[in-house]
Amino acid sequence: MAGYIFKRLLSAIPVLLGISVIVFLIMAMIPGDPATAILGSYATPENVEKLNRDLGLDKPLVQRYFIWLGNMLQGDFGRSFSLNRPVLDEVVERFGATLVLAGTAFVLCSLLGVAAGVVSAARQYGAADKAITFFVLLGISIPSFFLGMMMILIFAVNLRWFPVSGMWPIYGARDLSALVSHLALPALALATVATGVIARLSRSAMLEVLRQDFIRTARAKGVREGAVVWRHALRAAMVGIIPVLGIQAGFVLSGAVYIEMVFQWPGVGRMLVDAILKRDILLVQGGVVFVAACYVMFNIAVDVAQSLLDPRIRT
Amino acid sequence: MSFLRLLARNRLALLGLVVMAVVVVLALVTPLLPLADPDVTNTADRFERPFGAAGLLGTDHLGRDLLSRLMHGTRLSLAVGFAAALIAATLGAAIGIVAGYYGGRIDNVIMRGVDMLMAFPYILLALAIVAALGPGLMNALIAVAAVNIPFFARNIRGVTVSIANREFVDAARLSGMGNARIIVTEVLPNVIPVIVIAMSTTVGWMILETAGLSFLGLGSQPPQADLGSMLGEARSALISNPHTSIVPGAMILVIVMAINLLGDGVRDALDPRLKSGALSRPMPTTLVRRETPPPMPAADDAVLTIAGLKTEFHVKDRVYRAVGGVDLSLKPGECLGLIGESGSGKSVTALSVMGLVASPPGVITGGAVRFDGQDLIGAPYEGLRRMRGDRVAYIFQDPLSTLHPLYTVGEQLVEAVRAHHPTPRAEARAHAIELLRAVRIPNAESRIDNYPHELSGGMRQRIGIAMALANEPEVIIADEPTTALDVTVQAQILSLLDDLRRERGLAILFITHDFGVVAQLCDRVAVMYAGRIVEEGPADAILTAPAHPYTARLMACVPELGGGRRHLAAIPGLPPAVDRLPDGCAFAERCDKAQAACRQGDIPLAAHGPGRSVRCIAPEPAPDTTTEAAE
Repeated sequence: MAGYIFKRLLSAIPVLLGISVIVFLIMAMIPGDPATAILGSYATPENVEKLNRDLGLDKPLVQRYFIWLGNMLQGDFGRSFSLNRPVLDEVVERFGATLVLAGTAFVLCSLLGVAAGVVSAARQYGAADKAITFFVLLGISIPSFFLGMMMILIFAVNLRWFPVSGMWPIYGARDLSALVSHLALPALALATVATGVIARLSRSAMLEVLRQDFIRTARAKGVREGAVVWRHALRAAMVGIIPVLGIQAGFVLSGAVYIEMVFQWPGVGRMLVDAILKRDILLVQGGVVFVAACYVMFNIAVDVAQSLLDPRIRT
Repeated sequence: MSFLRLLARNRLALLGLVVMAVVVVLALVTPLLPLADPDVTNTADRFERPFGAAGLLGTDHLGRDLLSRLMHGTRLSLAVGFAAALIAATLGAAIGIVAGYYGGRIDNVIMRGVDMLMAFPYILLALAIVAALGPGLMNALIAVAAVNIPFFARNIRGVTVSIANREFVDAARLSGMGNARIIVTEVLPNVIPVIVIAMSTTVGWMILETAGLSFLGLGSQPPQADLGSMLGEARSALISNPHTSIVPGAMILVIVMAINLLGDGVRDALDPRLKSGALSRPMPTTLVRRETPPPMPAADDAVLTIAGLKTEFHVKDRVYRAVGGVDLSLKPGECLGLIGESGSGKSVTALSVMGLVASPPGVITGGAVRFDGQDLIGAPYEGLRRMRGDRVAYIFQDPLSTLHPLYTVGEQLVEAVRAHHPTPRAEARAHAIELLRAVRIPNAESRIDNYPHELSGGMRQRIGIAMALANEPEVIIADEPTTALDVTVQAQILSLLDDLRRERGLAILFITHDFGVVAQLCDRVAVMYAGRIVEEGPADAILTAPAHPYTARLMACVPELGGGRRHLAAIPGLPPAVDRLPDGCAFAERCDKAQAACRQGDIPLAAHGPGRSVRCIAPEPAPDTTTEAAE
C-alpha cells in the first residue's frame, strides 16, 4: 500500500511541472509589457524598469521559468501589488475559506448524488426514479450563480432562515453554529450541479452492476434485497463512481468562484476575480498554481481510495 | 433514418428540440422585431415591474427595456456559446485526429499535453486565460473554447484510432494516397458524427460557462450584455428588484435545460443497449403472470416437483418461449440430469424454480413448482428469499463472474450463512473454514481471506459449491458447474458432488450439455429441446438406448475416447427460434425420420418402457435393442 502511494506521488511530479509550465506560458501571453500592466499606465519608467529587473523580465523565457519555479519551490510566490502582501500568505488564507465551502459541498454532493442514484436505479421507472430524474435534470441545467441568487431571495430575504451572505456574522461569536448557518445556502448551491451529475452516473453504474451475475448469486443465496442493492451492487458500482467523484471535486473547487461572488464568501475564487480585474498578475498566477496543485494532490487521494476499494488494482 | 425516428419517439427530447428551435428562431429575428433599443437608458423609468406600462418585462436599473435586452442578450449568449463549441470542436478534433491517426510519439506527446490540461480544475484554467488576455467577451469565448479543446481531442482521438486501423484506411494507404488526403476523405467523414454528438452534449455547458464568466464581470462589457452579464448587473438589486435577476436567469435555465433534454435524447437514440431494453435492472424475483394458477401437482415422495412450467421473455413486441411447459420431479438423494444444447431452456427452467430469471424481460406465464407443500411460483418475495440458499441452493457456471469480485471468499461464505441463521461472525467464519475443507480446498485457513481473482478456476468452483452447501440445503440446482473447467478438475468436482450427495442425502438437479457428466453422476436424465422435455428416463437406459431421434443425434456428436473410427455427426441446421416455434415437433426440421404427421398438432410426452417417456410419434423401438442406437 505504502509503495502504491509513493508511486502515485512520484507520478504527480511531471503533472505538477506541466501545470506550472502551462500557467507560466498563459501568463507570458499577456500582451504588451507586463510591468506596465502590473504597475498601471501612470508608472514611472524607473519603476517599470526596476520591476522588470525584479521579475527577471529582461531575461529569456526559459530562464525566467526556472527562476520563477525555483522561487515557488522555496515558498516565494512573489508579492501582490494590489494587496501589498506576499501572494502565498493571501492565497493560503483565502484557500482555507474556499476549502470549507467546497469541502462541504463535495461531501454533500457525494452523499446525496450517490444515494439518489442508488435509489433511482433500485426503483427504476418507479415514482422515486422519475422524481429524482426530474430534479437531476433541473439541477444540471440551472446555473449555480442563478440558483444561489434565488436561494438568497427565498431562504435568506423572505423566510429569513439563513443569513444573506458572508462567512461569519459581522457582530457576534465566530462559532460553529454561526459558520453552519452561513455555510448552508452557498454549500447547497455549489453542490447542486455536481449532485445531479453524480446521481446520473451512479444510476447508470448501478443499473450496469445490477445485471451482473454476482448479483444473481447474492439473490440465490437469499440475501435481503436491501443488502443486495447497498452492499453488493453499490460496492461494485463505487469502482466506477469514485473517479467521477474526483472529476466533480474539480468542478466544485473551481465552480466555487461563482458562489463566492454571489454569497460574498472570502474565498480564493473571489480573490482571483478581483485580482484579474485589478490586473494583479502575480496574485492570479500564484493562486491558480496553488489551487491546481492542491487538486492534483486530491486526485492522488482519490486514486488511493480507489485502490483501497478494489483489491484488483493493488496487485 | 431510424435515428431521427428514435429521437422523435422520445417526447422529452422532442420538447427540448421544439423549445430550442423557438429560442434560436427568436434570436435570429430579434433585430427585425419592433423592440426598443436595448442600450437606451432612461433612469426616470428604472426598475419598472413586468407587465406594467414600460413593456412586457419592465425595465432594469438604468431604465432599459428588459424584453429587448433579454432578446439581444439571448442572441449574444447563443452566438458565443455556439462559437465556442464550434472552435473547441474544430481544434479539438484536429488535434485528436492527428494524434489518433499518426499514433506513436506524436500521439504520446499530444495526449500528455491534453492530460496536463485536464489535470486543471476546469474553470480555473479559463480564469487564467482571461487574466492573461484581459476581460472581454471575445476573450471569454477564447477561454471557454480553449478549456474544452482537451475534451474533444481525447474523444476524437479514441474514435480515430479505431478508424485508422480499419481495412478501408489500409486500402487507401496501399493505393498510394497521401496521409492528408486519407484524413480528409476517409477518416473525417467517419469522425464527423462523433464530433456533432459531442458538440450537442457540450454546447449547453459552453453557454453556461461564457454566461458565468460574463456574470463575474470578465466577459461582455457594458453596455453590451449577454445573459450572464445581465444577471451580474442585476445582482446588486436582487433584493429590491428581483425581476431583473429572474428574467435572464430563467432564460439561461430554459436554454440549458432544452439542450440537455435534446442531448440526452441524442445519446439514448445512439446507445444500442437502450433500444433492446437490456439496461433494465432485474427485479428481486421473476415476474409471474399466470392466467390460471394450475392445480398443484399431487403430493408424492418427490422433494421438488415442476409441473407445466412456462417461462417467456418479452422483449418489445416479441415473445420468446424459452420454457414451454416442463414437468420434472426430483426425489430426495436423487441426481437428475437436465441435458440439452445451449438455448434449449434448461438454465431458464432451473432459474425459474426460485424466481431468479431476470425480469424484465423474463415472465413466468404458467405452471407450478411444488416444494415443501407449497407453490413457489408466485410465492411472496420474503418467503422465497428465506428458502433461497437455505433449502434450495444454486451452483452457477463461471464462478469468476458469479462471485462478488470485491469481497473475500470468506466474507461471501459468512454472508451466505448469516443471511439465514444469525450466527456470531467468528462462529460463521469457523463454519466457513469447515465448508472450504469439505470441498477439499487446501490451506482453508488462509484461502478464506483470498479474493476470487486470486484463486484458480477449479478453486473458485469449489467456493461456489461450498457456498451452496453452507446451510445444508435439501436441493441443489447446479447450472453447468463444470463447463468452464478442464477435464481433470471437472472430474474432481464431479466426484466431490457425488460424495456430498451420498453423505448428505442431497437432491441435485444437474444441468449440463455433456453426456459424459450425466453418465458419471446422474440417476435419471431429462433431455430438453426448444423449451420442452423430449425424453426422460433412467440415465443408463437412455445412454445405452436413446428413444428420441434428437437424443440419439446429440449423443452421436460426442467423440468417445478409444471409440475407434466412429462417425461423428453434427446435427444439421439450428434449433428453431423460440419466438417462432413450428407446429408439431420442434425437431422435425432437423430430423431425418420426419414424416408429415410430425408437423401437425401437439405431440405428447408418452410412456416408453419402464420409467421412461418420449415425445416422438416414431421413437426408436423399445429398449433391449441397443445396437443401432448409436448410429
